[in-house]
Amino acid sequence: MKLTKTKTFPYWKYIIVCLLFLVMLPLNAAGIVSGSTLLILGTVIFYAVVGVGMNILLGYSGLITLGGAGFMGLAAYLSGFCSTRLGLPFILCLVISIAVPTVIGLGIGVVSLRLEGFYLAIATLGIGEILRQVFVEFEPFTNGFSGMRAAYPKLFGIVLTREVTYAFYAIILLIVMILVHNIVNSATGRALLAMKGSESAAQAMGISLLKYKLIAFAISTVLTALGGVMYMHLIKYSYPTVWGLGMSLNFLSISVIGGMQTVLGAVLGALFVIAVPELVIKQLPVIGTLTGVAYVFNGLFIVLVLLFYSDGLIRIGSDVKKLVGKIRGKKNDIDQRSGT
Amino acid sequence: MTLTKEAVHKESPDLKEGVLLECRDISISFGGIRAVSDLTFDVRENEVYGIIGPNGAGKTTVFNIITQFYKADSGAVLFREANGNVIDLVSLKTPQVVRKGLVRSFQNIELIRDLSLADNLLVGAHIHFETSVFSQMLRLPAARREERVLREKAMQVLSFLGLTDRADQLAAGQPYGVLKKIELGRALLSDPRLIILDEPAAGLNDTETEDLTGLVHAIKKDYNCSILLIEHDMRFVMDICQRICAMSFGKKLAVGTPEEIRAHPAVQEAYLGEE
Amino acid sequence: MSNFIQILFSSLEIGSVYALAALGIIIIFRTSQLINFAQGSLGMFSAYIAAFFIQGGESSLEVQVMKHSTIIAVLVGMLAAFLMGVIIDFLVVRRAKKQTSPLALPIITLGIVMMLTGLAPIVFGGNPLAFPRFIENASVSILGVTIMVNSIVCIILGFMVLAAVFLFLQNTVWGLAVRTTASNETTARLMGVPTKIVTMVAWAVAAALGALSALILAPSTVVDIVMMDGVQLNAFIACVLGGFQTFYGPVIGAYILALTKNIFGFYISTTWGTAINYVLILIFIVIRPYGLFGKKTVKKV
Repeated sequence: MKLTKTKTFPYWKYIIVCLLFLVMLPLNAAGIVSGSTLLILGTVIFYAVVGVGMNILLGYSGLITLGGAGFMGLAAYLSGFCSTRLGLPFILCLVISIAVPTVIGLGIGVVSLRLEGFYLAIATLGIGEILRQVFVEFEPFTNGFSGMRAAYPKLFGIVLTREVTYAFYAIILLIVMILVHNIVNSATGRALLAMKGSESAAQAMGISLLKYKLIAFAISTVLTALGGVMYMHLIKYSYPTVWGLGMSLNFLSISVIGGMQTVLGAVLGALFVIAVPELVIKQLPVIGTLTGVAYVFNGLFIVLVLLFYSDGLIRIGSDVKKLVGKIRGKKNDIDQRSGT
Repeated sequence: MTLTKEAVHKESPDLKEGVLLECRDISISFGGIRAVSDLTFDVRENEVYGIIGPNGAGKTTVFNIITQFYKADSGAVLFREANGNVIDLVSLKTPQVVRKGLVRSFQNIELIRDLSLADNLLVGAHIHFETSVFSQMLRLPAARREERVLREKAMQVLSFLGLTDRADQLAAGQPYGVLKKIELGRALLSDPRLIILDEPAAGLNDTETEDLTGLVHAIKKDYNCSILLIEHDMRFVMDICQRICAMSFGKKLAVGTPEEIRAHPAVQEAYLGEE
Repeated sequence: MSNFIQILFSSLEIGSVYALAALGIIIIFRTSQLINFAQGSLGMFSAYIAAFFIQGGESSLEVQVMKHSTIIAVLVGMLAAFLMGVIIDFLVVRRAKKQTSPLALPIITLGIVMMLTGLAPIVFGGNPLAFPRFIENASVSILGVTIMVNSIVCIILGFMVLAAVFLFLQNTVWGLAVRTTASNETTARLMGVPTKIVTMVAWAVAAALGALSALILAPSTVVDIVMMDGVQLNAFIACVLGGFQTFYGPVIGAYILALTKNIFGFYISTTWGTAINYVLILIFIVIRPYGLFGKKTVKKV
């Protein structure tokens, strides 16, 4: 009997994306791609990591958070503190900076049993705001409005360069995508979708809502914190105002615009929300120089994309495939929507 | 909270020989309205048992009480597990019920639209997945093996339902009759001793209902379990059930074979009004 | 005692700012089933329009009619907001509701936020603008405490507008149409309620309320692109506190929120006062997950 889903190697698309990011390095060395562009793409990478976490939460589990920026900031400050003030090796900083926010994230998971929908959204928003206030006030730790500085990651005693850090981050993104892909296509992923689709049916099938909400928030917070650590060691500077509601809403946008029930969608969303304003719009002649233009166009694009592709930009991929199939005259039987 | 063998034997409630499920004097009220009053009935091994009654009689409420979606105000829901132990389901949380061998379907189809039909069935097999999230994340051999074995099982059920060609299609957009079958099939994946079906024939035409009748017979034979169902389609109920319990306003009117129920004066009055 | 009077009046004043914004949010939420993240930005943009209008007015009108100019400017701002609400509903929301997933809708309002935030400096220039009070340089003494007359005017204005909206909802046929649509849109449509007009008017009114909220706030700060950020946040929290199931819940929540914020701010500290406020509200909604006046909607299986 033929088994379903006998995909030989499902990770090609993630590898291709990683390679596309990596190919920017030789282009940068050759002077075709500028250093600031590289920095922006590096930013896209760690926003994509956070975006994958948001997809798990929003797209696969039906849970929402508007406090993501607070957790990302917490991880950033922790990592900065551990590496610069305490001089700890990068791996240890990473572990600490991820563990602490995740504990809080688990707490939110418990709370999410009681609160639903918008109530949960605003509750997490409140937590994010409280964290931001902490960043401002805890000056001995965070240096308040003066900001905290950090360096590129120090692995095995060597401080990396910007280019190596960028490559390192691209690899991290690849690993994250592969691991999350595995989760999403496993019994855990199905349980999360079941919980999102129908809490009653999920419970009737033996799925514990508490366990899976905790799993969803744990995975999402780990990835958000990881993104925070990556932020700190690429941007090398953090100050409190960054970690506000605006950033949390950016995460939401990245998730929804890219395709929230996919893994790859996060990369698309991050490219669109982060890279397009900086790399495309600001480069346009005349209008590119006006303050606020990037914002206007980005907003306009968001509205248009969601009006026409409410499932996210990732659907463009399936639309292109359908078009190609039609052009070639082949019949495309299998619905491309079954799992990316 | 699962009961240990010792605890069960200490306060072991009693079930007659051959009885699989017994609702004993269960009652529940919602805001002052008595939805179910002192209801007692039992379902035997390898039996198809039906509950009928006008709308509002409390049938789905009884199902929710049995499956621990509601907690009864009083009474016990005794169930005999595969290993012979008798437990009171009231002591369990909702997700624990299916692990004891009792699974339900829903009146409104509660399938997951974003999953394929095969994956929807695999949700039914959730309790058989024992590997941790980490194993699944790293696709360790144990996790891969488990997925393969249980996916085979899901394909077998799809074949049993005659839906193999739709295995990878999403549940969203499937015809109603297909969804009803999958809802039924999902219950089979958990290796149940008792399947509880809430209006399985609702919305089906005559041909589909005949199909369903054949399916229920086949399930009873091939899967060696009992079936407890609510239905409004009288022909279907009389065709398929060995015994029927008629309810009205939360109370038991009568229990008996289809013929006995059909001839029962109180049942006739509740359905048709006094002559 | 004098502290209490001070706190009371400033709470009532800032409370009316929050309440107007919160009412705007809940009206759109209940009639269009979406969270409008653009509430603050619409207010901000209208404030810019009003501020621009007044500046233009200053140059051509004499000083002694400035009082009228303020009121007219406010009306102009509210009218502009009203029109923007109509346009947004007509062009975007109506289309979006038919073909987008429910989660995409709030993100679309985020897109609108970005557009407004980007447009404001382009149209109005990058500098913050000033907006005058209704009544300048006048104060009264209440129980020994000096209160600005303008504050009293704003408080009364806030009450009047809120009362007007509630009277409209409760006592008019159109108000009934709004409440019916809020309760169940499909049924309302089946019963002949022109739900499309209702949602459009809802957007327009909500935007106008946001404009008034911004303009009551404006004199005590400046008109710039971030002026309504704090207000919007507090308006959302007021909705959570009051519950999303009623129209009056968020309004009452807004006043309570303003009061507790000021009390904590005064007796503890201004910075930590806000944080403590949030913590207490978070604790509150965990205990009462549907807000002060909300009810759990049980889904029957």
